[in-house]
Amino acid sequence: MSLKQRLLYLQIESVSVRSPIIAMALHEPVPDSITQIEPTGIEFPYASVHEAVIDGWRVVSFPSPKESATTEDDLTILGYEFILEKLEQFDD
Amino acid sequence: MTSATPSSTTKEQILLNDEQMVDFIINGYTIVETDFGDEFNQGVFDQLEALPENPGDGILEAVPALGDVYSHPKVAGALASVLGPDYYMYQHRHCHRNMPGTPSQMWHLDGGAGTTERNPEHVRAVLAMYYPQDVESNMGPTALIPGTHLFPSSADRMASYGNFKNQIIATVKAGSVLIIHYDVWHAGTANTSDNVRYMIKFLFNRLSDTTKPSWDYDRDAAAALGEKITSASGAPVTRALAGIEKNRRIKMWNNLAGGTTFPSEYWDRWKGPWPAR
Repeated sequence: MSLKQRLLYLQIESVSVRSPIIAMALHEPVPDSITQIEPTGIEFPYASVHEAVIDGWRVVSFPSPKESATTEDDLTILGYEFILEKLEQFDD
Repeated sequence: MTSATPSSTTKEQILLNDEQMVDFIINGYTIVETDFGDEFNQGVFDQLEALPENPGDGILEAVPALGDVYSHPKVAGALASVLGPDYYMYQHRHCHRNMPGTPSQMWHLDGGAGTTERNPEHVRAVLAMYYPQDVESNMGPTALIPGTHLFPSSADRMASYGNFKNQIIATVKAGSVLIIHYDVWHAGTANTSDNVRYMIKFLFNRLSDTTKPSWDYDRDAAAALGEKITSASGAPVTRALAGIEKNRRIKMWNNLAGGTTFPSEYWDRWKGPWPAR
């Protein structure tokens, strides 16, 4: 067993941690694990970054102000991206 | 590249109506259900199974019955509605054989329509995907995110996205054709079944700008859709982009209609019940 980093990418509607989630990707520290598009319907475990933090996730990356897509020339994102981590014990 | 096949004019086309066009502008896709019977679809499936290798762009020559799919009155009518009456079949096409055990793709946009230009205010090209068998959710159905054709994005920026709250999983009946705006984010999902899933993708391009609506246009019917085109939820976007999204829908309509400005009528969107005490 060793302490490993789980990563949670959350894209949300605004820079507020209480803003609704648009998209989510969970990456587990497990060999050959894959993060797939779920074809049978999705149910996000959290409604916001704030809820994830309450559940023990730590924010390790906040969205850059440069991602503030407020002009028609800067439309490369669908949501402001927070990256969170949770350290947990995993089998080696 | 200019090599292309002109659109079929031998059969009467069944055009989209105003509401179907507004739905296409909002979501970037439409699903056409053809009336091909089991014998036709199974016949195509069997021919695909018998191919010794992927013929690439030669799939139409390898399976000529596919030409019947894309000249079907409902398919041709939908293509003419969104691309104009002189749309053409582009030379690139591809047969996707999704084998059991195949993982999902990442969200992406295709290349290869003869242009690298993305246009969030028009329809210059579409993908038309034919499925010769019923596609269940565990057979690797195509996934897409409605409304994303209004927001071009780079492939590397898409890499960190996973599941979206309103993603569409195209579980379809055999014989269906999924027509999507070329810039809609999409992906093949995992095939966890024991069945092969085929999807044959053809590209169709706009040849010229139209001077009038190329669909079954009715001014009064269109005018009644003002609230829908400006208020219906679409792409999962930031709050800052929501207003831009609505403006782009109207611009797309106007471009598709050849300058026939969307006949919007004023409505009082704030009228209604007070908040509950």
